[in-house]
Amino acid sequence: MFKRLICFLLGFSLIFPLFPLPLLAFEPSAEDRILLNKIEKDTFQYFTRLSDKITGLTRDSSRAGSPSSVASTGFALAAYAIGGSRGWIAQDYAYARILTTLQTLRRKAAHQQGVFYHFLDVRTGNRVWGSEASSIDTALAVAGALLTARYYPGTEIEKLAREIYERVNWKWMMNGSDFICMGWTPEGKFLPYYWDSYNELMILVALAIGSPTFPVPPGAWERWLRPEGDYNNHKIVYASTGSLFTYQFSHAYIDFRKLDDRGINFFENSREATLANRDYSMSFLGQYKGYSESSWGLSASLGPGGYKAYGGKPGGGLQDGTVAPYAALSSIVFTPEFSTKAARFFYDSYQKELYGNFGFRDAFNLDKQWWSDEYLGIDQGITLLMLENYLNGEIVWKKFMELPAIKKWIELTGLGTRSASTAVN
Amino acid sequence: MLAVIVPLLLINFVALAGLYFGIWSKVLETFSNEQTLNDLVTASRMVEYDQARHPAPNRNFSSLSFFMQTGKLSQRQREIFKGILDETNRSLLWKFSLLLFFLAWGTIFISHKIAGPLFRFSKAFNEVEAGDYRSRVILRKLDEGHPVAQEFNEAMEKTDHFLSDLKTLVQEKDAPQAVTKIKEKLSTVQTSANV
Repeated sequence: MFKRLICFLLGFSLIFPLFPLPLLAFEPSAEDRILLNKIEKDTFQYFTRLSDKITGLTRDSSRAGSPSSVASTGFALAAYAIGGSRGWIAQDYAYARILTTLQTLRRKAAHQQGVFYHFLDVRTGNRVWGSEASSIDTALAVAGALLTARYYPGTEIEKLAREIYERVNWKWMMNGSDFICMGWTPEGKFLPYYWDSYNELMILVALAIGSPTFPVPPGAWERWLRPEGDYNNHKIVYASTGSLFTYQFSHAYIDFRKLDDRGINFFENSREATLANRDYSMSFLGQYKGYSESSWGLSASLGPGGYKAYGGKPGGGLQDGTVAPYAALSSIVFTPEFSTKAARFFYDSYQKELYGNFGFRDAFNLDKQWWSDEYLGIDQGITLLMLENYLNGEIVWKKFMELPAIKKWIELTGLGTRSASTAVN
Repeated sequence: MLAVIVPLLLINFVALAGLYFGIWSKVLETFSNEQTLNDLVTASRMVEYDQARHPAPNRNFSSLSFFMQTGKLSQRQREIFKGILDETNRSLLWKFSLLLFFLAWGTIFISHKIAGPLFRFSKAFNEVEAGDYRSRVILRKLDEGHPVAQEFNEAMEKTDHFLSDLKTLVQEKDAPQAVTKIKEKLSTVQTSANV
């Protein structure tokens, strides 16, 4: 009997590392949970305050004169649904805001073959700044729209969200290649950049494969590169910039914990990437004032010299002492303990300089005594959705994973059937 | 001399002051416009987003290449500042041309007024050295050095008369009387041969 027990425990300890840790392995204190909820609710306010009341289009940034970003608008759609379900705004108000926004996206927002232009005029929905019809930003907008369809099934919202999704010609966006092109402009046609290597592309490819109208071949999932690298014993498939957001955006909507991609579990990958990113910051302890055990987060953000693709290693590893609180917070589903500690540290230490009506501002740099006075829509969006998944029963994942498009993508790529052994919960 | 330098200095001062205040008032006016500021920041941000997503394009030589500081600007910022620089250069072109003309004219005018007389003096000294005491310095109306030329000419005229008198006395038939007169004349002249 004793031998059996020993064998069982030994076997369990060997198998356990194969399993992704459940989200609740770390339980934040009651105080921390209150803080995280406050941050989520305050972050949510960005979308109600910085979206146009008539069109619903959401500003890219809180800065005066900022155009709307279609990706931010997608996050806004998700935010209204979350805000309505959480009681932060009235349900009928949430419904009205979502409806208005979807009507704008369906009927007014400039697009090419259903692919929205990256930046739109807040009032008219016209293309601005010569921006490109952007595949990833369209995917983020569509993801937000489809999520609202799951929050309000059988309504006009669901109908409009489906129409917007079905209008997107993902196949056209491949431009006859093996990969989805990053963008298209009327002036130069297809950009010379393709989503051909690991980064935030997974949500885009998933929606493109799952499309009921213009699907890309399932092989498009297999083809993009999965470069492997190692930093401080964290071996991961990495994005070229090493920016933390690339490991987070797809995970805002898609629950990768049960999905196995040829032996790679991208949830685990993002957790390791977060740890590597934190370790990379820590390697500059003493060199830069901003980095510490609880102050980390290298991701594309504003900085003293403008918006840059800060990141860790493996990858570009660009850093100058700038810390983006959203980056640490948005990894909360991967590294709940470290992210919660970071949130607590940022809030307690820099509340006056860094925290405002919409939660944490984008970034800071202690060495240069620089504090961002801006919020960026997409950074607010990823913070909100990741906190919602963490604090509210993984609700976004649960709803999104039920979408027929996502089921189709999983089925066609075989992601769900390859390795039941790596699944959790 | 002063009548020339003072107007020239005034012209140059007015031109430079006009340029200085003209350029900077335009720059400040442009940058203090809120809409322009917002547009500039937004334009820069758009490019920074692109640069974060795509590799930076190669930079070509342009008017900004002379300014090292622009290396720290984003592509869009460089485009905007190149536009401002090119426009400023165009507007400055005729002003600088005018300034250059005035400077060239002033330089030539002054150099001619001084270099011309110096040349004439030099020529006169050479003629005297060669034994021609009829040489005189004749200056143009607006040349510098008229008083010196006048004194030089008076001195030359005296010397010319003195030597002419000596030459005349040498040709007299009464030699002893001629020698006495020559000695008398030479006694009024101070030379290094005085004992």
